[in-house]
Amino acid sequence: MSMFKDIPVDVGVIYEGERIRRNDMQVELGGPTMKEKFELAKVRTPDEIEDGKVIIIGPDIKDLKEGGAYPLGILVEAAGKTLDQGLEGVIERRIHGYMNYIEGFMHLNQRYDIWIRLGKKSFQKGLNSFEYIGKVLYRLFKSELPIIEKVQITFITDPAKIKEMYPVALQEYEARDAKARGLKDEEVDKFYGCVLCQSFAPSHVCVITPQRYSNCGAISWFDGRASASIDPKGPVFEIERGEVLNAEKGEFAGVNEAVKKRTLGEVNQVWFYTAFDHPHTSCGCFEAVAFYIPEVDGFGVVNRSFKGTTVNGLPFSTLADSTAGGRQIDGFHGMSIEYMRSKKFLSADGGWNRVVWLPKEVKERVKDFIPADIVDKIATEENAQNIDALKAFLKEKNHPVVARWTAEAPAAEEAGAEAKEEEGAMVPVATAATLPIMAGGFKIILKDAKIYAKKVIVRSMKDEKKS
Amino acid sequence: MTSKNVHMKIGEMKTSTGLVKNLELSIGKIVDDSWTEPMGPTPMPSISTLRDWDMKLLNKYKPFYMPDCDLCCLCTFGKCDLTAGKRGACGLDIAAQSSRIVLIAASIGAATHTAHARHMVDHLIEKYGRNFPLDVGGLNIKVEAPVTRLVTGIRPENLGDLDEVLEYCETQITHCLSAAHTGQEGSNLDFESKAFHAGRIDQVGMEVADIAQVSALDFPKADPEAPLIEMGIGTVDTSKPVIMCIGHNVVPSVGIIDYMKESKLDGKMEVVGLCCTAFDNTRYYDRAKIVGPISWQLRFVRGGFADVVVLDEQCIRTDIFNEAERVRAPVIAASEKNCMGFKNRTNDPADEIVADLVSGKATGVLILDPEKVGEVAVKVAKQIAPIRKKYRVLPTIEEIIALAKTCRQCNLCQRSCPQDLQIPAALKAAAEGNLAPLTDLYESCIGCGRCEEACPVKLQIHSYIVKAGEKFMIEETNFCRSGRGAVQDVEIRNVGSPIVLGEIPGILAVVGCSNYPKGGKDVYDICREFASRRYIVVTSGCSAMSAGSYKNSEGKTLYEEFPGGFEAGGVLNVGSCVANSHIAGAAIKVANIFAKRNLRGNYEEIADYIHNRLGAVGLAWGAYSQKAASIAAGFWSLGVPVLVGPHGSKYRRMLLGRADKPENWEVYDARTGDKVNVGPAPEHLFQTVETPQEAMVQIAKLCIRPNDTWKGRSIKLSHYIDLHKRHYGCMPQDLHLFVRTMADVPMTMKDEVTKILEAKGWKETVIPDPTLLPRMIRKKKE
Repeated sequence: MSMFKDIPVDVGVIYEGERIRRNDMQVELGGPTMKEKFELAKVRTPDEIEDGKVIIIGPDIKDLKEGGAYPLGILVEAAGKTLDQGLEGVIERRIHGYMNYIEGFMHLNQRYDIWIRLGKKSFQKGLNSFEYIGKVLYRLFKSELPIIEKVQITFITDPAKIKEMYPVALQEYEARDAKARGLKDEEVDKFYGCVLCQSFAPSHVCVITPQRYSNCGAISWFDGRASASIDPKGPVFEIERGEVLNAEKGEFAGVNEAVKKRTLGEVNQVWFYTAFDHPHTSCGCFEAVAFYIPEVDGFGVVNRSFKGTTVNGLPFSTLADSTAGGRQIDGFHGMSIEYMRSKKFLSADGGWNRVVWLPKEVKERVKDFIPADIVDKIATEENAQNIDALKAFLKEKNHPVVARWTAEAPAAEEAGAEAKEEEGAMVPVATAATLPIMAGGFKIILKDAKIYAKKVIVRSMKDEKKS
Repeated sequence: MTSKNVHMKIGEMKTSTGLVKNLELSIGKIVDDSWTEPMGPTPMPSISTLRDWDMKLLNKYKPFYMPDCDLCCLCTFGKCDLTAGKRGACGLDIAAQSSRIVLIAASIGAATHTAHARHMVDHLIEKYGRNFPLDVGGLNIKVEAPVTRLVTGIRPENLGDLDEVLEYCETQITHCLSAAHTGQEGSNLDFESKAFHAGRIDQVGMEVADIAQVSALDFPKADPEAPLIEMGIGTVDTSKPVIMCIGHNVVPSVGIIDYMKESKLDGKMEVVGLCCTAFDNTRYYDRAKIVGPISWQLRFVRGGFADVVVLDEQCIRTDIFNEAERVRAPVIAASEKNCMGFKNRTNDPADEIVADLVSGKATGVLILDPEKVGEVAVKVAKQIAPIRKKYRVLPTIEEIIALAKTCRQCNLCQRSCPQDLQIPAALKAAAEGNLAPLTDLYESCIGCGRCEEACPVKLQIHSYIVKAGEKFMIEETNFCRSGRGAVQDVEIRNVGSPIVLGEIPGILAVVGCSNYPKGGKDVYDICREFASRRYIVVTSGCSAMSAGSYKNSEGKTLYEEFPGGFEAGGVLNVGSCVANSHIAGAAIKVANIFAKRNLRGNYEEIADYIHNRLGAVGLAWGAYSQKAASIAAGFWSLGVPVLVGPHGSKYRRMLLGRADKPENWEVYDARTGDKVNVGPAPEHLFQTVETPQEAMVQIAKLCIRPNDTWKGRSIKLSHYIDLHKRHYGCMPQDLHLFVRTMADVPMTMKDEVTKILEAKGWKETVIPDPTLLPRMIRKKKE
């Protein structure tokens, strides 16, 4: 551990999942019993901060009573030529990861919700000052994020100072969120692609835009920007957005080009804001899937943890199977939960006005982002467990899709035919036995014929057509 | 769904195309091929169909032979001396002979699981009908039989469909075994390839057995919260009549449990199990108890706990009858494969058999009707328990001290002990009144009883060890999670992102028997180490029991401490031996779920995917049986590395990669067609390790795969380096082989690793889309 030779305990990713139980803890910082606590990253100008400086305001770890809980504020101030405020969130979230690398040091949650415990064993080994914690953070920030040229870290345990800083931190978070949510795809000239999942799904590429999170829900446009600038050759890369080819569907020249290149031509065209024709593809770890329900001309959405069958009788596992492996399948759309909070969520298909069913748990999570006039018109598993019940529910609530039922009948029919094909596979196939005598326009008369077959393989007609 | 022997007669039929008169149609088999997934290239492979794939692996991981015996004694030309390159009368050399034994072992293993499956399926069809639907996980599982789909191209929907799958397996095992006849196969690599084939078939046989029983007997269905089961001798209420079931096939136990419930005796008697039957009993009835692994047979019987001993099949001590007789416990043999010389009483009235067993007129019987087994076992236990009063044959401490004085210190016991336990010293101390050294042996003893066979003065050494360790024995009260069965599709989806991002560094399957070098604690320690490091730890069989037999500082067993889901830091017990198939099944499903690769009859492509992408390692720390050999073979052919403990060296060979030969580690980059050197990832396919520490370092290293993202690789390397430093006290010196770009280097170890890279002249390379199959190179579409 030469990088951390002067730290009294080990530092490594292997400690990441470490939990410290109450009985084993020296002190608790933040956590559920402390009302005011925070961690905050701010980008400063180079002359505002001193590189490598660790400031402790209030009592240090060794001055805290064993077994006690204390408030804590962490302020990471960074400077660098290419840094801007948009990266503050990314920098801030690294605090969690880095702190957890410290042996016997547990960090949970983020922002105003942090919960830290230091284990007795590590304290006894000498980890008794924020100075050490600061050094670890400093070195990891500098070695992992070369775009940070200077970084200064402050730990605050003084209740008065925390009281003063806490509302400031809350304002920062709020402003950051508002800005992030307000950022529009049209306003940026770069998107980010991610091919991390190609290690398991070789023909899938995710495109991350300000208004479309990665399917796994783990990478925002800001994260993408940070990753791509830190490691330009890495699996998260910059995509020049290019010309807007279709603003409604969400088609961009640069995206088509990048996707074509990264999928070796498997996918040539991507429409972000629709589940039809050229939907964004999926690997397998999407958080939820939107699926078209032809009977009502609307979308159902189901998430991974939903147990049971959805309104069309199929469980998540079956629906998810319809969109995976980097394929574009009409009417199926793998996505993150966060995407449902975006204004562009299936916007080309009608957005929330086209969503007819989703699990209660998901509805609760994204409720604030569903337009107020539609939220009660969307059924959950409590309102409808089959298509008939769904139809009745939508009719009763006068969901916007009801208006489409007469207007757009052909679309529903077409999709209906597709569903039927699936069913066709189940039809008993004994009638196929007459096939052999249909050949070539001749009249074939078989008299007293005996036909023996060791094996007859019966395939549905659909297979033949396909192959 | 298939139908057999269909006949059709048409007197006269006019159609627009023709006239048919007296048409008689006879079809041997109608296959309903309504499954829309296209058939892959190798449905129902013969013994040579996948030879090319096997050879790819066998050239990468060349067999390294460690013959246990230099002679071949199989035919009457012999014995033939095969030392120093000599060939036998048939022409085989020692390499071919060793691999031939591997093939024989794998075939025996595959036959055993498949015959178990055959019995299970036939029995369940008789009871529930051919159309009884298969259900292994309800809505959470779409791919019900991944191994079967992959190997045979069949998608089984009901019990009847399994019949056809088994017919295929039976044919293949016959071919495999026939190749071992004198004067058949001559090349060691071809013997190996056929052993791989036996392994593939074995996985199918196991899967059939388990999905049949899970479906028809309503076992936990892919349930991460399968109930916690009481385990250990201390959990058995000895005031009640105790029925002890040994073996693997749950059918007779089901008869016992059903009869016990019908006669309202549940709660009034104990049904306990040893070895895999114990698991399947608990999957059927969660108040059944697990005594422990196979090696607990002697201690439980001699301790007098069992009032009736019921034997089904596999891994049963074949002298258990003599042992049971000593403690006056009647024995019921319940499997055709294991008649034990008893009189067949299947057709006799139950009460007659009961009377004979209770009175001692008969000490053992063969009953081949599981329901009758149930009735007889329950009635006998109830009637004989008050008579036997848990009669035992363990000596008193005073007796041990007296008998130990007769020990001649000849050392034969220690020499015959597979674990080299220091028995003579312990007996010497006992003779002087100090039983502590004898007590210490209790933990490490695997209960084989060879010490007693070797003793020239016939000391009952094993009984002394058990008596000296009695306190521990009685205090054995642990929990084991009941076998959950398959892994849900949804669970696999959930771990997709954390595996890609390295948050889950790998999957460790700790499976197999209990021939441990130093007791089961090693298994517990290894499982706990990797679960704490957020690997997914999968257990099965006797290893799953040992994993649950120890507690942490808070008094919690592994199954209480860690969640039972297929998730970071999860410890999941899939179940008995045949449930091992779900581990391979989970790996196979990954390819289907994330890459949407077709499974149907598509073995080579999926094995290539798993081998190059899925960081999974098998550990059979105490593997002893031929079944363990065939299970391992099934993993080898999927390209999944397997480690065995020291006794595994007696499987006669390892499959070792050569890290020093860069040319062995080239894969194609499917994106470009370029050959890329990906380093020894994974380094070996089958390796014997001597100590748990060595095992831990190897496990971490063998989870490395060519497709690792830099994040994944850096975390895998962190664990490898950390374990290496901990257990060898230094940095590993082969790191340059596993670093592709600087981003792979663990962030907290940059300085140290960079030094090694510089010293070794490391050069940056690319992360490919790895495959060993040229046909998988993708063509650019325009």
